[in-house]
Amino acid sequence: MEKHIERVMDDIISSPNVFGCVFVDHQGLCLGAKGDASTESAGIIGAIADQAAKLEPQNQPPIIVVEDDTKRCIIHRNGTVTGAIYKTN
Amino acid sequence: MHLWDPVYNRAMEVPGQLGYLLLNEEGAVLSSAGELENDEKTADIIMGLLTLASTVDPTVFPVRSFKTLSLTYDQHCYMVCLSNRKIHIVKKSLNIPTSTNELTVNI
Repeated sequence: MEKHIERVMDDIISSPNVFGCVFVDHQGLCLGAKGDASTESAGIIGAIADQAAKLEPQNQPPIIVVEDDTKRCIIHRNGTVTGAIYKTN
Repeated sequence: MHLWDPVYNRAMEVPGQLGYLLLNEEGAVLSSAGELENDEKTADIIMGLLTLASTVDPTVFPVRSFKTLSLTYDQHCYMVCLSNRKIHIVKKSLNIPTSTNELTVNI
């Protein structure tokens, strides 16, 4: 499991403009982080995915994008796992 | 009537726009229309999201530095923009008819 997540994170971090990624379980605990992403952000990323899922509970969880002038954080929940990818614009 | 009403009334004519909400810093609804008319539940959820998103990862994103937030579903999306101490929320359809489709219908 850990090896598989490591491989997925390596693939993500090698994508263009990506400088960090973090994976979180349904309890907000960090499954793994790579690049500039900190493991401490796992809880808040899980909480953001939880809050967004309340908006339209009848639909699949949305893709959440938090953006500033130069960077964006893309968060998506799939089943019990939430992934966040940090990208430069 | 709010100062922004004429702007948003024009914006409601934009193809694909389903509704809008204009909130103040405290999350109170200042103006709304379409599917989001007086939708305080959506306003509360998005205010909660903004509070969480302001501290997403302080080492990478300085606190309260973000400008826009979007939530994308299969068929529609919500765009949230912070400007002039107000929160602008727009709900848009992602299936906007293109001019080619309209032409086909006309034929």
